[in-house]
Amino acid sequence: MEKKRPQLSLDELHQLKWLLGGGLTLLALSTVAYMEIEAWELMGLTSVCAIDCTLWPTLPARVPPLVHLLAFPLIVAVFVGDLWLTASPLPAMVRLDMLLLLYRSVSYRQRRDDLQVIVLGLFLIVVAGVLTVSLLFAAQLLVYTAWALAFLLVVTLVSSAEGPASESGKVKNVAPPWAVHADWPRLARRLRAVADWRVVALGGGLFAGVVAVSALLFLAIPRFQIENSLFLDRFMSKKVKTGFNDSIKFGDVTEIQQDTSVALSVDVTDRTQLPASPYWRMLVLDQYDNGTFKLSPILRRSAFGSERTDTIVHGEVRPKLGAAVTWTFYLESGVSRYLPLLGGFEVLRFRDHQNFRLGALVDVLALRDEPLTMTAYRVEGFEISDLLFDPKFPTAARRREHTIQTWINVSPEDHVTLDRMSNEIAGGAKLGAEAFSRRAIEWLRKNHSYSMSPTLPPGTGDPLVRWVASREAGHCEFFAGALVLLARNAGFAARVVTGFRGGTWNGYSASFTVRNSDAHAWAEIFDPAVGAWRRADALEIAAAAQGPETKSEAAIVARSDRSWSARLDSLRIFWYRRIVNFDQRSQLETLKEVKIAAQSSGQHLRDTVVGAMAALRAWLAAPWSFTRGVKLVAVIGVLLALVWATWQHGREVRRMFLRGGRGGCGDPVRADASRWLARLRPAEDSAREVCAVVGELQRLRFGARTTWPAPEPVFRRARQAWRAQRSARRRVSRS
Amino acid sequence: MSDFMQAGQITEAKQALDALRANMRVTIRGKDDVIEQVLVCLVAGGHLLIEDLPGVGKTTLAYSLARSMDCAFSRIQFTSDLLPSDVTGVAIYDDTVKEFIFKKGPVFANVVLADEINRATPKTQSALLEVMDRARVTVDGEAHAVGTPFMVFATQNPVDYEGTFPLPESQMDRFLMRLQMGYPRAADELEILRTQRGGYDAIALNPVVTRGDVLKLQALAHQVFVEESVLEFVLKIVAATRIESEFRAGASVRGGLALRTAAQARALVYGRDFVLPEDVTELVAPILSHRLALARQTSDALEERRAVGAALRRIVAALPIPA
Repeated sequence: MEKKRPQLSLDELHQLKWLLGGGLTLLALSTVAYMEIEAWELMGLTSVCAIDCTLWPTLPARVPPLVHLLAFPLIVAVFVGDLWLTASPLPAMVRLDMLLLLYRSVSYRQRRDDLQVIVLGLFLIVVAGVLTVSLLFAAQLLVYTAWALAFLLVVTLVSSAEGPASESGKVKNVAPPWAVHADWPRLARRLRAVADWRVVALGGGLFAGVVAVSALLFLAIPRFQIENSLFLDRFMSKKVKTGFNDSIKFGDVTEIQQDTSVALSVDVTDRTQLPASPYWRMLVLDQYDNGTFKLSPILRRSAFGSERTDTIVHGEVRPKLGAAVTWTFYLESGVSRYLPLLGGFEVLRFRDHQNFRLGALVDVLALRDEPLTMTAYRVEGFEISDLLFDPKFPTAARRREHTIQTWINVSPEDHVTLDRMSNEIAGGAKLGAEAFSRRAIEWLRKNHSYSMSPTLPPGTGDPLVRWVASREAGHCEFFAGALVLLARNAGFAARVVTGFRGGTWNGYSASFTVRNSDAHAWAEIFDPAVGAWRRADALEIAAAAQGPETKSEAAIVARSDRSWSARLDSLRIFWYRRIVNFDQRSQLETLKEVKIAAQSSGQHLRDTVVGAMAALRAWLAAPWSFTRGVKLVAVIGVLLALVWATWQHGREVRRMFLRGGRGGCGDPVRADASRWLARLRPAEDSAREVCAVVGELQRLRFGARTTWPAPEPVFRRARQAWRAQRSARRRVSRS
Repeated sequence: MSDFMQAGQITEAKQALDALRANMRVTIRGKDDVIEQVLVCLVAGGHLLIEDLPGVGKTTLAYSLARSMDCAFSRIQFTSDLLPSDVTGVAIYDDTVKEFIFKKGPVFANVVLADEINRATPKTQSALLEVMDRARVTVDGEAHAVGTPFMVFATQNPVDYEGTFPLPESQMDRFLMRLQMGYPRAADELEILRTQRGGYDAIALNPVVTRGDVLKLQALAHQVFVEESVLEFVLKIVAATRIESEFRAGASVRGGLALRTAAQARALVYGRDFVLPEDVTELVAPILSHRLALARQTSDALEERRAVGAALRRIVAALPIPA
């Protein structure tokens, strides 16, 4: 039998190879977009060149020969210079990789160059994956692997079609014939015409199978951290976009609010414990200077303990009786090194050792470095309240041992203005902290509306005092800062807290999702009457507006987010929960879930079968009547009819379903003849009987129906001839 | 199609064609495949273009076929000064009857050997167009049938192109097949060397079929049954040539019809009243190769023939053959 050749011509294979190589380059280059490496211009240039040269393959022929001569020395020189100037090896290597990809895109590639493109692209993908550990990495790696396999297949086909002499004699600045005749729509039509979809489906199925087996192995093997194993992040100068710093100017939090991406995802074992509008505290700022709130040196010294390296953090909250509610946080990279918390806690656990400082007095936990990948931590025993008890603060205040800055750095004129407004709020009465806070909020709400793009009134003096004195609209930072200034002016200790407020319940992942757009700032005023810091948020949503029973299970489910973005977020959460942060505990949980699911399915099946058998037994044991007899006869009759129909027409029905499968003949006789023709291959020395049978089979397969012999005898003789051939072959092989 | 074919008719047809084949084998040694394809072309009612180097037996083949049949045969030696009227005939004023009398040209025969056809000018070549297509000649507005069966047996040399006029695509499409003779095998050539031969006139063959037999065979070929999957296979081949990047343009509808008709004729040559897929695959190259032109220019005609042949073989190998 003639060996099948590649279905596409050599030129078309070359064109396909070129197209796949270009696509692979672009796929690898796209990873640079989220790697936080300064290579945007190079990425743009390389991408444009790769796209242009891929679509117009004659372009590389126009590259002057001098470029090919000097390319590698130049690239090496650029790399050395880059390394010397930046002293950052990994970004320099990434840029070197991109330069090599650029060169490979603008020159005609031979086989080894194609393999080099795969390796170069893989380097970018792996580096991006290790640095970000994002869901996109998983998707990209899958696509890249499939693409690279297809590319390798085409490279192999081209090599085998060209033969061993193909690599020599190619001139880099002369367009090969396949490039001159490249016609992409035509190639697409050709691919569609020659594609064997069964092979494509088989290949896709095999690839999916390999991915599935890999996933199963991943679930079964012990955990290890890829990024820690490769230490790649240590080769990079760390740079993270974050809005929550030790110092926040007006507009910083609002800038974070422009970003709608997910900042935090929280799993909670008892979701009824979720407040209707939770406040995720991250950072406490007490020092105010001309429009900027900072973490004062006093607070930094007094509140934060020494740095520790551990996986477990014990909070100030005493353990309570009963099982504590567990909160698992997944904080996205680039949010902050200050971890969002709902308040005081009993214990907090990290997955791995972390360097951190705990501000127990202010219930703030700060990591040493900005995390480059998602950070997961589990908290037990949150104390969720509007009040944050601080029993040491009154004593320290009495002794004038400052643990927090409580004075205001504003001019005397501004003090006069603040006095006037404080009097206006208090109405001349001596108010407690709670009453003052309430009245100050009402006063602010009356005089100022909310706006994401506020304007500061012109003039001299402190900008925040100017705003408070005006009737301009403002955002959360203005309201929080104003409350702090007014409270301090009235003699109450106050501070600004930044973090997130609210979030949505994701119905798909069964977790709480907080987005960057939920970023918020509010004030905390110390109430000496209760010895606690009281939350004061001028923009707090009225309790009535949140609806009744917001904490009930049904209310949470009713308010859950079931949009497409929630679906995507749930995928991301799955990725981090089950893949990236898949520790032994999660592994056990997953295996337990799989076991429970398997057991319950098996039990359900067993129950169904047993139930059906019992029902049948009961039916048979029941007293017989005419109706029951008729029913039984009817059932037996239907069964017999089914058996008879299958016996008589089963093959035809099967052939109807197989129509088109064998040579496209739907006729059952033709299909059978086709099957026998495939089995009976008459050789030169075949017996006359075999030749005669083959002739008749050919007539049944390809002849006019009116000329057919009786099919069954022909098939019988074909079966006999085939058996005889098989026996003869066995005899020959034995001898 | 084959509802009216009797087993006896098939047997008779096979006997006649076997006799024809055996008769031609007497003078054409070791070229059974070429003889078979010539018979296919004859039975399909098509015209034949034989390309090869001089002296490999092209003209002998034509003579053998013509003399094996009891048919009128004529030979036209195409040259650059040959006029269309030299081929078709001319109307001459006859003084005795006082009117123009049509003097038939050499094309009025059942088998016409157009030797070195590409040496004639395009004008003269075009004179063959109508007669090849309709089997008639129109002179001075009057149509003259050339008679049936009618088969043009053209030859040309693919290497020596000096002073030639390549046949236009429209005329190439009129030929059912293009064949190459090729050199004979050593044993056959030795046999040829042993044979005493004195020119074409010495080719003495007894006619084994009559003109009527040939017409019957041609009519019978049209009744050979072509199963649906085989027709689809023909269509797939033709469609594949239209999207093959190596070809400037794919095969025409006439090309597809020619392939089907030739496959029917081949089935009859093998004594079958139905077409097998192998009838199609065996005829793809001779039927389609001269109808296809490469998108890329090649150095010479032989190179182009090889490239076209390779592309067609690849197409056939890639397509699923009905089984």
